[in-house]
Amino acid sequence: MANITIDGIELEVPDGTLILEAARSLDIDVPTFCYQKRFAPLASCRMCLVSVENSPKMQPACATPVADGMVVHTASEQVAQTRQSMLELLLANHPLDCPVCDKGGECELQDMVFKYGAGTSRFRDEKRVFRSRDLSLNQVIIFNANRCIQCQRCVRMCEDVVGAVALGTIEKGMDSEITGFENSLTGCDHCGNCIEVCPVGALMSQPYRYKARPWDLVETETTCSFCGTGCQLTVSTREGQLARVKSKYETGVNGETLCVKGRFGIDFINSENRIETPWARRSGALEPVSWDEAYELMRHRLGQPDQIEGHRIGGLASAHLTNETLYLFQKMLRTVFRTNNIDSSSRWVSGVYDVLPGLVGDLYTRQSLENTVSADAIFAIGSNITDDNPVTDYLLRSKVRQHGNKLFLASVRPSRLDADAQAHLRLLPGDEAIMISAVAEMVSSSPEKEPPPAAAPFAEFTRKIASTLKASNTSSVSVLVGMEILRATNAGQALQWLERLLRNLQQAGKQVSLQFLFDRCNQFGAWEMGVQPNHLPGWRRPGDVRVSEVWQAQLPPEPGVDVHEMLQRCANGTTSCLYLLGSDPVSTYPDRSLVEKAMSSAGFVIAQASHHSETTQLADIILPGAAFGEETGTMTNNEGRMQLSREFRPPIGNARRNSDILNQIAEVLGHKLSGSKLEDTFAEIAQLVPSLEGMSLADIGDEGLLCTSQGQTEDGQFKELPLPSRVDRSWNSNGKLTLVTGESRFHASYVTEHSATLSSISSQAYVEIADTVCQELGLKTGELVTLRSPHGETTLQVKTNRQFPPGLAFVPENFARQRLNELFKNGEYSSPVDIIPNEV
Amino acid sequence: MNEKVLLRNIDTPGSHNLAAYQTAGGYRSVASALADFTPGELIELVKTAGLRGRGGAGFPTGVKWGFVPRDSGKPVYLCCNADEAEPGTFKDRALMENDPHMVIEGILIAAYAIGATTTYVYIRGEYTVSIERMEAAIAEAYSNGLLGENILNSGFSHDVHVHRGAGAYICGEETALLESIEGRRAQPKFKPPFPAVSGLYGFPTVINNVETLSCLPHIVERGADWFNSIGPERSPGPKLYCVSGLVRKPGLYELPMGTSLRELLDEHAGGPRSGRLKAVIPGGVSAPMIPANDIDIGMDFDSLAAAGSMLGSAGVIVLDDTACIVRVALRIMEFFNHESCGKCTPCREGNAWAAKVLRRLEAGRGQREDLDQLAFLCDGIFGNSFCALGDAAAWSLGAALKHFRDEFERHINDGKCPYH
Repeated sequence: MANITIDGIELEVPDGTLILEAARSLDIDVPTFCYQKRFAPLASCRMCLVSVENSPKMQPACATPVADGMVVHTASEQVAQTRQSMLELLLANHPLDCPVCDKGGECELQDMVFKYGAGTSRFRDEKRVFRSRDLSLNQVIIFNANRCIQCQRCVRMCEDVVGAVALGTIEKGMDSEITGFENSLTGCDHCGNCIEVCPVGALMSQPYRYKARPWDLVETETTCSFCGTGCQLTVSTREGQLARVKSKYETGVNGETLCVKGRFGIDFINSENRIETPWARRSGALEPVSWDEAYELMRHRLGQPDQIEGHRIGGLASAHLTNETLYLFQKMLRTVFRTNNIDSSSRWVSGVYDVLPGLVGDLYTRQSLENTVSADAIFAIGSNITDDNPVTDYLLRSKVRQHGNKLFLASVRPSRLDADAQAHLRLLPGDEAIMISAVAEMVSSSPEKEPPPAAAPFAEFTRKIASTLKASNTSSVSVLVGMEILRATNAGQALQWLERLLRNLQQAGKQVSLQFLFDRCNQFGAWEMGVQPNHLPGWRRPGDVRVSEVWQAQLPPEPGVDVHEMLQRCANGTTSCLYLLGSDPVSTYPDRSLVEKAMSSAGFVIAQASHHSETTQLADIILPGAAFGEETGTMTNNEGRMQLSREFRPPIGNARRNSDILNQIAEVLGHKLSGSKLEDTFAEIAQLVPSLEGMSLADIGDEGLLCTSQGQTEDGQFKELPLPSRVDRSWNSNGKLTLVTGESRFHASYVTEHSATLSSISSQAYVEIADTVCQELGLKTGELVTLRSPHGETTLQVKTNRQFPPGLAFVPENFARQRLNELFKNGEYSSPVDIIPNEV
Repeated sequence: MNEKVLLRNIDTPGSHNLAAYQTAGGYRSVASALADFTPGELIELVKTAGLRGRGGAGFPTGVKWGFVPRDSGKPVYLCCNADEAEPGTFKDRALMENDPHMVIEGILIAAYAIGATTTYVYIRGEYTVSIERMEAAIAEAYSNGLLGENILNSGFSHDVHVHRGAGAYICGEETALLESIEGRRAQPKFKPPFPAVSGLYGFPTVINNVETLSCLPHIVERGADWFNSIGPERSPGPKLYCVSGLVRKPGLYELPMGTSLRELLDEHAGGPRSGRLKAVIPGGVSAPMIPANDIDIGMDFDSLAAAGSMLGSAGVIVLDDTACIVRVALRIMEFFNHESCGKCTPCREGNAWAAKVLRRLEAGRGQREDLDQLAFLCDGIFGNSFCALGDAAAWSLGAALKHFRDEFERHINDGKCPYH
């Protein structure tokens, strides 16, 4: 600890604290441009120079650590004079075109001059002008070099946080200019974090350009609706219209960062594909109807409430919806429709729900992502984090680079994070189980066991990670689990071994935490709310007395069936009604022929959704639900943190809030689901979900609500687990590639296909293949190929990738019209494919 | 003392070849250092000799070496700063072109003292002959067992690489030099950490100037007392002075540290070209100019510092009475403006505006307020810039304004330059 004096105030701070941090802890304002907590100090803008007694020169507070006995002055005449001089110098070349600058009104330079600057300038010579017109760097970023003050926040963000290294500086001195290669950023991530950290109007958002003055905007703090990272957003509207999305410094899990999807993709709510009125199928064709007609039709088709046959009904809900909506949905299915046939994802295999409780209890992180990525060792399995959870990727990169903690990656696809990992492993879907089992066995044995023969291909990687995990200086371990694992046919086995690995580490005295890397914003919430066949809310088993008490209802005692079985049953005629809430299985279910057959065989399909899709076109009733931003509710992110998704405009057209629709349907069918207020629903949830016991909606503060786990700890008596075997990939030796799918850099699930901005950046699917394979086939990026699997074929553009393993082909699943699921078959992920170059 | 030490081989034909160097006794010092000294004893020797860095800052070399943590388990690097880019300076070039083996021998002694495995010689890109000669000499040294594995059977191994600069003055600043070697944009980095603790690639690194390293073989050969006896007590040793400008006999002179500026000019360099001296810049353009009346001053670190200037790189630029000080100030400020790396506000913005104002003044379009503006710029830059580049620009301009304000005023009053 160091005792220091700032402006006459004595205080004690930890060694290594920067003068700036110490001053700010006393609410002493020390102005800065180049400093931001996330970046290593640069000390270049010189705004933060302060006087330090017995130091010949003034010192930059942002980079100078305190020393015991240090006496600092931040308010002296010399300091004030220096700040004024720096601002006069910065303004000397600044164009001062504030009236036509998007940044005007929220510009750090403006505010700083207002506070610390001189009223007049001595400089009368001509200002430097880089160019008279702004430079469009890509579809979302436009640049005015004349306004730049060279704080380098954008460059450091791009290099050290995003890892894209797309922005850099050319020339030197007064000619220094930040830019991308050849004055273009068309190859970058388009995340716009450079815009976010720009203190002036140098880097600007194209979609927001000239849309509004900041003071005319209404701001709503909300949670991103795409992936599970759960970034905090500020949505700005002007006269009810979406104007822009921003992030705020040091706010939320994401701080000031967002990915391209979160920052620019929210305009999917303005898509022409929005459903504005209920539709009903009459004489084979869909036609618009009123809400009353729609409800009446439903009552007619479903029959008398007491005659509803629960086993003939199934429900599938999107994990993009709020906890309250999802809770009401499963409650409605269980109490009104009397069925446990409920599921929340169509992309994964069967057999995971039974093994989940061991992972989501005491092992689950339920701490800030910042803490999770600060562990001594981080093992991330089954995700291209750069594409799946971009902001989690940023945090991992920043942390590993600054603190040198060790990152290990095992995934099907290469990602940008590989470069920051101690070791990375490429494997094929289904091989995760054997790899994890090898590590689990190795960390539990002493001396170290050799990996089992089946894991031989991963021996080097498993040895490296096992030795790090076992090392005495590794006291904390975080395991991040991506969605690739849940797609593989042996997902259940992989998850069991994962739990074993974590328990083994726990027994070895390590502090462990697990976090899923969900691709849907509220997947964790969907599970906790009981949108699954095996568990009621709070992971309670069917037949749980407490649930029956709270709901005052008789509940089906047996577990229900998952989406795969539901579709099979529809196809073979034993299930007749599907309720699809926000989900689009026709596009997403990895077996097109099955889902289409199920849809056409089911007697009655209800689709409640915000956007038209191939699924809604096959439905019998379409109920227009609110989209993101049109209803308020809570979401639970990867951390297990509950956060608010807030309404910033009413539902469009005749659309209604999803929870209202569910309540109304229940009422039509003679039931009362819950109170009409969000608070009431939340209170009911809190009665059933142990981690929320005693909580109310008001407990969700600015930082959300992170509940400690109520999960049970195992007694240490481990069951014998069968060793996994390798998945058969014999097709690889026949020249076929293994087709996998997942998220891409510019799109999230099928939702962002409706975003005009994201579509302007990336509008169609592609197949990514190793460059060596492309060379063999004589293919170049952009050329068309046909992809043929045993189940179907599709034509798309080739994208070569030097990091790709030769046996792999990847097609993003973000483009419904590509009908990628025609190439997959239920229970067989992944598929062998032939790549057939198209004749020119 | 007019004995040549650093330049003793310079007139020998083929002095840059190994044979000539060895004939003159070369590489005996490193043999002695490796055989007779522990690294710690070498550091003590250099401390006792009082050798101060010849790159410009004058920091005691042995003390700098002592900052390298012992047995950290990390590789240690030595960088030879041969990015001699200070206008008016050409001493390192003469050493590298004519006596590259002396530089290599110095490198080996320093490397052994600090435990370095690898040296990077960072040579200014325009120095094509220096680069050729150093590369040839390094190759000769490798093939004769003077570099590489197990040098002179001592068990000490060392590699030397030449890194060619790409033409930026800032690369002479040691942290920017390291960034440049790492392939990054050459800009100075915040200290601490100092390079001795975390330098090249984050490992302990010592950066020494060519002339500094060239002193080492002589210190090992002739002892600390001999070195210490040359020149003033606190700035001892032989010194290379680069004399240029409006002077009758420009050239490179080896004289003891502390030789008076008047002696250097009048007795060795033949005096100002016109016979009437106006001012002298004693240490490259970073050093404030000294008016003609003040040249009875010792050319060493402490004496010049006490007089408000600096020895710097000992680039002595002579200005006789035909020189226009405004033009000199403009020329210097154009240089600093061009070479500012652009990192910090005062140097990037301030130098550019100072150059703009000086251009107008020299063109006869100056106004009275311009002098206040220049004074403001000097105040705004000096002491506030990130590295010494901005300080140097402001310091030089400040001296011109202080000593020759009348010349600036004449430019304004006459509406033209009185000299051109």
